[in-house]
Amino acid sequence: MMKYLLSLALVIVVFTHTATAQKVYGTRNGKISFIAPNDEDVKAINNEVTSRLSDNGTLSFSLLIKGFKFGYAEMQDHFNNEYLMSNQFPRADFKGTVTNMKEVVLSKNGSYKAVVKGDLTLHGVTKNITVNGTITVKDGKLSAIAKFPIVMKDFKIDASSVTEKVMAEINCIYQ
Amino acid sequence: MKNWKRILLVVVIIGLITGGFIVYRIFTKPHRDVSQEVAVTLTAQKLYDAFKTNEANANQLYLDKAIELSGEVLEFSTNQDGQTVVNFKTADPLVVINCTFKTNPGTLTAGSTITFKGICTGYIPDANVVINEGVLIK
Repeated sequence: MMKYLLSLALVIVVFTHTATAQKVYGTRNGKISFIAPNDEDVKAINNEVTSRLSDNGTLSFSLLIKGFKFGYAEMQDHFNNEYLMSNQFPRADFKGTVTNMKEVVLSKNGSYKAVVKGDLTLHGVTKNITVNGTITVKDGKLSAIAKFPIVMKDFKIDASSVTEKVMAEINCIYQ
Repeated sequence: MKNWKRILLVVVIIGLITGGFIVYRIFTKPHRDVSQEVAVTLTAQKLYDAFKTNEANANQLYLDKAIELSGEVLEFSTNQDGQTVVNFKTADPLVVINCTFKTNPGTLTAGSTITFKGICTGYIPDANVVINEGVLIK
């Protein structure tokens, strides 16, 4: 009887564990770039974005400011030392959720509109943002793209001599 | 009157030269070439330990520095722009040293130990320490 109860308990434990286990898609080398709308020379790419997307809708992005590569070395120096202060604030993080995850069917090929809401921490300032993007499913492989503006003063970045805002572009292919 | 004009002319010329020099610098300053830099030598595990123990301290030591790193290749791939990326093993199965190569390191095998030079851009907790601009040493 005891043995029976024990194995029953074990079955229940294993079962509930499997039922609540979430599938997490991730990448260490996603891509985020930005460009200043009024000066196309001011642009940079970061290819070392860590991102995780869980099937319950949790979504995160982390990147290192020093990982942004500019065409011009002098601009890269100014960006790091004067505007983003990357020694003091080396990382930018976003933690949020896909608010309409019910409409994103990860088991079925297609392109799904995603409304993402969460906190973006940049230059030591955290701000709640909402971004519209697209999640694409192709044969079990996921990718996420989005394009949105970042206003410098929202994050207390004083780059007024260069630009008031940049357009950020996310392009992450998950494993 | 003549003096006044002359001074103005000199000021304008100096301004133009300075301005021209600043613009010239922005468009011509070369990117860092890590292969020409003296690097801090350490192992993948040591680098991870430093960030795991004290991120602020490790940033002081390694952020933006040329690093000559040796480690065991866990896996390799290409990033979304076609550059080679090597993940080095650490004792933590979830954390790697993620290295993007500037120049193609040639044929690699998982499990082998290699040494390369690159620039450390920082640490993403529970994920990886990131190095880019990598060039293979051996």
